[in-house]
Amino acid sequence: MTELLIHETAARPTTATVSPTREPRAVRLRRAGRFALTRPGLVLSSLVVVLVVVSAFAPGLLAPADPLLGVPADKLQAPSAAHWFGTDYLGRDLYTRVVHGAALSLQATVIAVAVALVLGGLIGLLAGFVGRWVDEALMRFVDVLLAIPPLLLSLALITALGYGTLNIALAVGVASASSFARVMRSETMRVRRSTYVEAARSVGTRWWVSLARHVLPNAARPVLVLAVLEFGLAVLAVSSLSFLGYGVPPPAPEWGGLVAEGRNYLATSWWVCTMPGLTIAATVLAVNRISRALDGEWGRSR
Amino acid sequence: MRPFGPRSVAAVLAAAALLLTACGGGGDAATSAAGGDAGAPQPGGTLTFAVGSDAGCVDPQQVASNDTIYSVRQLVDSLTDQDPDTGEITPWLAESWTSNADASAWTFTLRPGVTFSDGTPLDAQAVKANFDRVPQLGVRGNLPKSYLSGYQATTVDGPLQFTVTFGGPNVQFLQGTSTHSLGILSPATAAASDDERCAQVVGSGPFVLDSYTPNSSIVLAKRPGYAWGSSLWEHKGEAHLDRLDFQIVPESGVRAGSLQSGEVDAIGNIGPQDEAPLQAAGAQLLARANPGIAFGLAFNQARPLGADPAVREAVSWAINRPEVVSAVYTSQTKPATSVLSSTTPDHAPQDALLGFDAAKAASVLDAGGWAAGPDGIRAKGGQRLTFEITYANNAASNKPALELVQQQLRAAGIEVALAERPIADFATIQQSGEFEALWFNLTRADPDVLRTTFSTKLANVYRLPPGPLDDLLDGQAAAVDPATRSDLVGQAQQQLLSDYGVVPVAELTTTLAVGADVHGVRYDASSRIHLFDAWKQSA
Repeated sequence: MTELLIHETAARPTTATVSPTREPRAVRLRRAGRFALTRPGLVLSSLVVVLVVVSAFAPGLLAPADPLLGVPADKLQAPSAAHWFGTDYLGRDLYTRVVHGAALSLQATVIAVAVALVLGGLIGLLAGFVGRWVDEALMRFVDVLLAIPPLLLSLALITALGYGTLNIALAVGVASASSFARVMRSETMRVRRSTYVEAARSVGTRWWVSLARHVLPNAARPVLVLAVLEFGLAVLAVSSLSFLGYGVPPPAPEWGGLVAEGRNYLATSWWVCTMPGLTIAATVLAVNRISRALDGEWGRSR
Repeated sequence: MRPFGPRSVAAVLAAAALLLTACGGGGDAATSAAGGDAGAPQPGGTLTFAVGSDAGCVDPQQVASNDTIYSVRQLVDSLTDQDPDTGEITPWLAESWTSNADASAWTFTLRPGVTFSDGTPLDAQAVKANFDRVPQLGVRGNLPKSYLSGYQATTVDGPLQFTVTFGGPNVQFLQGTSTHSLGILSPATAAASDDERCAQVVGSGPFVLDSYTPNSSIVLAKRPGYAWGSSLWEHKGEAHLDRLDFQIVPESGVRAGSLQSGEVDAIGNIGPQDEAPLQAAGAQLLARANPGIAFGLAFNQARPLGADPAVREAVSWAINRPEVVSAVYTSQTKPATSVLSSTTPDHAPQDALLGFDAAKAASVLDAGGWAAGPDGIRAKGGQRLTFEITYANNAASNKPALELVQQQLRAAGIEVALAERPIADFATIQQSGEFEALWFNLTRADPDVLRTTFSTKLANVYRLPPGPLDDLLDGQAAAVDPATRSDLVGQAQQQLLSDYGVVPVAELTTTLAVGADVHGVRYDASSRIHLFDAWKQSA
């Protein structure tokens, strides 16, 4: 009985901040339409992200050709109706390669963000909840991680782990775990001191139950928003590393690798490097725009 | 909480930065068109030369990568020189030489008055110190070791006269003395450890090492008082240029842009896409096919797949050489017609063995028991026909060439993975046998390069089984009569290719681009360069 009561109290602040009143369906739809109309950038960003996700899971829908098969006679052709992004130095269609490369780049990015979220989240949760020397020790460790530039840290990790998409993902994930740990810790500390958690502890709830039931659900929200933002940065970090040649071996079309392949042709065939580069830029910007929208833009829009 | 403002700005900036760094390196065409007659050489000035890679060593006896040989060749003199047009061996440090009847002992007489840049004289003792040390070099010293194979001793007959004796006939030794690999180092340098020599060397050449920063630059300064140049060089006395600044610039696009903007005076390893813009900018393109072993694949025959003759033969039939050459290499490059490239003495074309025939590749694999699998890749007894090709990043054309080879082989049902390794690790990889197939070439203006690479009695990097090839290779090494030697070398090429011990693809052609105001850059017989006669026209 007591537990149930506490649970209700615990749940209230969250529901209160997110949707204090239910609006009628028609009103919400109209509001959503107005919200979208006044934000063409957000609509465009969503479209880009949808396209990228489709490319990752069903590349054949957008580009049915073989990304690895080139026709040397058609090498280095400028963008045209036949080749939207032009062709590369072996006559491979760049658009096809970019579409098929999305899966590799996105896979690495998702793993990287997941690693950062879980690892950083756990460190932050533990530090914020237990406090005292555990907090001190974990946060000094996070300080060390923060002191090293993330790309350098990733490079060091890859040197130890070896090349490949999965290793890139792990390296980027570990290197960006520290920011998650910081945000998670501060949120946990805020929630831990709230009345409902203290009440739960005082009636004898075991610490791990209160951590899982009361603290984690209420502290995780900002961290999840951060994860969306980190997604954009992780696309960039993964691409940077595969640009430097640490990704999948050729001829797999990873985005960063595509940019790297094109760099020797820039003076004569700008599209080989520019088209994949613009794709990366568009994806990062789109994800950024969406994460900004998730960070309360809907709530403020009223 | 809203800590995201600055972060999103950072993300945008970082995205822009990736684009910029990735796409930087184009340049404006600034140099004027090449003038007609250059006029008399002008002394002085610094020549800046951009090369693509660094071998991690500046000891001429331990460097095998062309990009680094361009610089270290200027540090040392050789006993002899080789005429690039005729292949004839001519005097340099040695005024004269003779051999005994079976070419197992060679006597040289040195010119007087030659000193190293540390002041010690270059005499018979110094040469002996060098040759005695060579057999003790590690894997990086494989080239000079192979030139001195069977080395027994150097006896000093007089201050300037010495005799080198071998356990058996060694015809190729004379050409070996003309290369940078047997360039003479000061006795103090020769005595130092392999690694110490890689960081600092003292020679007697027209330039001395000023500074070496690994993966960044090699700077040379003119040797004052130099007066013992090769008999093939145009002028006597000191070099024209004051300094040579070799910059390591891995991006071929950046090298081309640097030359077009006038930031550097010469670049190595140009890509086919840069030919037209460079010529439009007035740069001179100097091309020469490298003698020696053409670029190609060689299998590690200690591995099951490399030991399967059907696989090796099918790979050879499945590669469309003209397509690779026209797609990837500069316009001066030719498809390989033998394991030796066409500028090598005694090159014998084997066109019947090196065609492109997809049907033949398929029938060879069928006969070998490799059946086509569901995804098009062949398999035998549950093992997929897949292997890894290891290559180095020392030529910008390597990766695109191999990607095209990979595509061509996939059409024949052979799956290939590509693994790029630093050029500095290559000797170790060859020594350890940690590879399935290597993409490699070897420059040498003497057909004995076949013996040093493929004889099972030497390093035998590719783990070939002993066979009739060994006798042919030993035979040519002992053949004092040029006609007999030529015949044996021809048979060896045919034997090697009919066993598919190596699958040659393209002849490496060194193409340098130099600015319109640079004159006198000359190729030696091995398609490396001498910069003694080079000079820059002041604006």
